[in-house]
Amino acid sequence: MSPLLELKNLGVTYTTGGGKVTAVRGVGLRLEPGDTLGVAGESGSGKSTVAMSVLRLLPRSAEVSGEILLDGEDVTTMKWGRLRAVRWAAASVVFQGAMHALNPVRKIGEQIAEPIRVHAPEGKPPSDAQLKARVAELLEQVDLPAARAGAYPHELSGGQKQRVMIAMALACEPRLIIADEPTTALDVIVQAQVLDLLGALVADHGIGLIMISHDLSVLAATCARIAVMYDGEIVEQRPSAELMNDPHHPHSQALAAAFPTVGDPVSRFAPATASPLPPEPDRSAADDRPPLLAAENLRVSFRDRTGSRIDAVAGVSLEVRRDEIVALVGQSGSGKTTLARTLLGLQKPDSGRVLYEGAAVPRGGAGLRAYRRQVQLVLQDPTSALNPRHSVYEAVAEGPRIHGLGADELGIVTKALEAAELRPAEKYFGRLPHELSGGQRQRVVIAGALALEPGMLVADEPVASLDASVRGEILGLLLRLRRELGLAALVITHDLGLAWNIADRVAVMYRGELVEVGTVEEVLLNPRHEYTKSLLAALPGGTAVRTVAER
Amino acid sequence: MTTPEKASPRAIAWQRRRASMGKVWQEFATNKGGLIGLGFLALAVVLALLAPLISDESGLDVTKAAGQPLSPPNGDFLLGTDIDGRSILLMTFWGARISLLVGFSAAILSVLIGTVIGVTAAHFGGWVSTVLLRFTDFFLVLPSLVLAIALSAVLPQGVWTVIFAIGVTAWPTTARLVRAQTLTIEGRPYIERSKALGGGHLHLIGKHVLPGVAPLVLANTTLVVGNSIIADATLAFLGVGNPAAVSWGTMLETALNNGAVTRGAWWNLLPPGIAIVLIVLAFTLVGRALETVLNPRLKGGH
Repeated sequence: MSPLLELKNLGVTYTTGGGKVTAVRGVGLRLEPGDTLGVAGESGSGKSTVAMSVLRLLPRSAEVSGEILLDGEDVTTMKWGRLRAVRWAAASVVFQGAMHALNPVRKIGEQIAEPIRVHAPEGKPPSDAQLKARVAELLEQVDLPAARAGAYPHELSGGQKQRVMIAMALACEPRLIIADEPTTALDVIVQAQVLDLLGALVADHGIGLIMISHDLSVLAATCARIAVMYDGEIVEQRPSAELMNDPHHPHSQALAAAFPTVGDPVSRFAPATASPLPPEPDRSAADDRPPLLAAENLRVSFRDRTGSRIDAVAGVSLEVRRDEIVALVGQSGSGKTTLARTLLGLQKPDSGRVLYEGAAVPRGGAGLRAYRRQVQLVLQDPTSALNPRHSVYEAVAEGPRIHGLGADELGIVTKALEAAELRPAEKYFGRLPHELSGGQRQRVVIAGALALEPGMLVADEPVASLDASVRGEILGLLLRLRRELGLAALVITHDLGLAWNIADRVAVMYRGELVEVGTVEEVLLNPRHEYTKSLLAALPGGTAVRTVAER
Repeated sequence: MTTPEKASPRAIAWQRRRASMGKVWQEFATNKGGLIGLGFLALAVVLALLAPLISDESGLDVTKAAGQPLSPPNGDFLLGTDIDGRSILLMTFWGARISLLVGFSAAILSVLIGTVIGVTAAHFGGWVSTVLLRFTDFFLVLPSLVLAIALSAVLPQGVWTVIFAIGVTAWPTTARLVRAQTLTIEGRPYIERSKALGGGHLHLIGKHVLPGVAPLVLANTTLVVGNSIIADATLAFLGVGNPAAVSWGTMLETALNNGAVTRGAWWNLLPPGIAIVLIVLAFTLVGRALETVLNPRLKGGH
């Protein structure tokens, strides 16, 4: 019996303005029916190109060489009509970012029915009743009530939209599903549900699954085998458990180390960074000064479209002491970012107050400006956090210029860039943001904050948009800054592994309230609140503690 | 720590700016229409500036007119003469000075007002924005030609009155455009970063917003210049403005009122008319070309 999908020596070359770029070379893969394969790699490794080439969904500028055999038939030489028949009926795709892949002005039932209608056998269009029944059946398979068929995409949550995408992919009973980062935009709890669903469907229907992700633990939770791609080539392909426990290729090791297992003592205070960390400074001296930054009973509310008030932050009290990193974790929509904006004075609280070194933070004027020198912001996406027209030098010098620290601007900028590990600093002065890599951009943002010699950083998902290998470096930098300069930080994240990597204390936020605050070990290894427990249970890699218990 | 040369960052910044200007020019140069328009404009501006040096202004004086009234184009007068016996070629030549002066000045005035109002409305939001936008809407629905006529009638006669009248009636579209662009820039996270660094309103507008909207404003200005020249010609044709100065609009007006048209003297009408069409077309070509180069949304493909 021929395999469901076989790639033989696949190569893809893109023709761009600057010549030819080889995105994929010499890739060979084999997938039997009912088999699950994960493709891991960083952005630009060619993993999405491989997946999209299976259905010839690549842009015109792509040149494909080698063979793509789908059920023994070569996709690259198929006629257009045959290709259309194969798309969706034999193999379908769950696209990344369900919010953009669904048509916002059509009901989801219609969108699920669309492929069924298109692929109906010649002369026998299905009746409306048949279609309706089939849509209801599909929705049921993805655990959505059949009544939701009449809903528009914006009425569904992110997880529900992703389920609709999966229902669409199943519509024509394909034998192969390609899922391109199906859970990237979802938070942990929803991610676990979607992964369970995909796993169950594959097992029940004997469908082949190719899943693409940058997160090895996500792949390991669903797929039997994992192929690691690097620079257009597959560098390692082995059963998931083997690869997770003992990655051979250095790049697989980096990917595996980037997403630490919570509870694993090896990764505690040890983010995956190439440069060594300084030792922990002596912190035994009693500190009777007031906490560096404190929020007292903060409350922020917004009005929704109907005019009713929604408490984004509902009575939060939180302290960040000198010389410590506090991780603020919670699902999207839990109010983490609003809390951070309020702490920075970018959002006015409805009640409660923010104290810095024991004194209330002024709400405007020179007082607020002076406060902003002390507490700095690091944003999630460094690409948009830097003005594309400003060079690195200008971006870093912006803060000192605002606060009139002009005396030795060059010295300040050089020092800040070097503190953010961009050495030699002069090399970066004239660069524009688009000439830097994602990790370097985030370092520039951090250098811009350091230039003001702040007492504290507030970092909003500082590594969420970065590649796995860079992630560890940036986390290492934050930890190093705390140890060397005593720089405190409040790191907002949905990623418990990050908290385990670098934080001293964790605050868990749920629906605008802090449900649990304590040291990392207390909260993550011995959670008391139900919500914290469900967050931990949803981690795709599981926690070390649980794994030990299972053994 | 090493001690780098003091001037380096600034020098690098300037080098970078020159390089990006060069890039804009290269892209502009691929647009044939824009190049032709720019060439024509450069020629027109140079000729208008040199007019006093290469021709004799006294020829515009009715009392010193050398030719016969309404003589058709001939060897002495290449484009013929008007009702007073003045050379049409000379008048068209000198008319360019007034048209370009009014066009540029009025455009700069209107773009200035539009940019200030657009940026202020978008940056401050709230009631400031509401008030400014209603103000803009008010000017947008006013028939600008009627307003300009009324203004020129009330104010003392002269070229600066015409400039003022056109300038204060033409800005609302610029204000709308600038406001929209400012809003998209204000939504970017780097504005938030700048605020968190402690930047005030002036810093945000001066460092981030204005450089961001400048390209769009530049492209818009070239288009507004063309419109202002037409508005100037219209006002002059209607008899508003300074009747003594020779401009394309007054030439058309004289031709119509003094019976040149009824006598079939086409050479009195065509030269100023074609001059207006050509110069406005040139500005439009340059403006459109600049827009496609500078406005990322109009760039095709990826």
